[in-house]
Amino acid sequence: MATATYPPPPPYYRLYKDYLQNPKSAPEPPPPIEGTYVCFGGNYTTDDVLPSLEDQGVRQLYPKGPNIDFKKELRSLNRELQLHILELADVLVERPSQYARRVEEISLLFKNLHHLLNSLRPHQARATLIHILELQIQRRKEALEDIKRRREEAQRLLKESLATLDGQ
Amino acid sequence: MDIISQLQEQVNSIAALAFNTFGTLQRDAPPVRLSPNYPEPPPNPTEDSANFAEQPKLMSAALVKAAKQFDALVAALPPSEGGEEAQLRRIAELQAENDAVGQELQKQLEAAEKELKQVQELFSQAADNCLNLKKPD
Repeated sequence: MATATYPPPPPYYRLYKDYLQNPKSAPEPPPPIEGTYVCFGGNYTTDDVLPSLEDQGVRQLYPKGPNIDFKKELRSLNRELQLHILELADVLVERPSQYARRVEEISLLFKNLHHLLNSLRPHQARATLIHILELQIQRRKEALEDIKRRREEAQRLLKESLATLDGQ
Repeated sequence: MDIISQLQEQVNSIAALAFNTFGTLQRDAPPVRLSPNYPEPPPNPTEDSANFAEQPKLMSAALVKAAKQFDALVAALPPSEGGEEAQLRRIAELQAENDAVGQELQKQLEAAEKELKQVQELFSQAADNCLNLKKPD
């Protein structure tokens, strides 16, 4: 049985021989990639966006539009799901050979549910960012007040000690 | 775990409960008489029928409970104020305010450091004077 050793490191290390003495003698790091790139035979894109349901060939059950009321849509999808499960149970009892269509509809509902939840993620990310910025502003304001108070305190102490020394 | 991950987990568990329900019922259901031409199916041992009558009830109760849990989680979602543009505007506002406060902080910090240096200078001068004035006995 043949075993292969690990591949050797890339030969670029020789270019950095004099880096400590002269940081400019070595090549710059490569610039960040834009657009699509190929990695180990797979195509990747740098623009990560959630593909819409139509792109995946799945019918979208909740209304499209600029602002979706997520809670309402999630609740109605849940209700639809329960109804479909009940329908599946009925179909299995009465007309067992027609299960396939019901199962398809249930899986469609699940795909819609997951897609809706995934589309909440960018919103969550922005809300997290807002929260972090607010916390940071609050901390900075507190530090500012602290510094002001300490400076005033120091001025007061200096004046007092000056008065004490002068009175002496 | 954050609320959206919990919602996703809940959806997956509803799916798991649903197919467990159907799978178990389908696997364990006793045979049923389809047509009057064929004779009655043979009676089954009691172990099956005793537990079996409650299984649909238990499993459907679990399914409904999971669905109610999902509704409760949806209600627990924080209200989504405005859309994407409103959020982006708020982020821009907060960034501007953050920059302003940061600059103010930087100014105060520099002034405080200057004063500290001054005080240190004066203190070392005073200490030197003390040393010079104090005559060794």
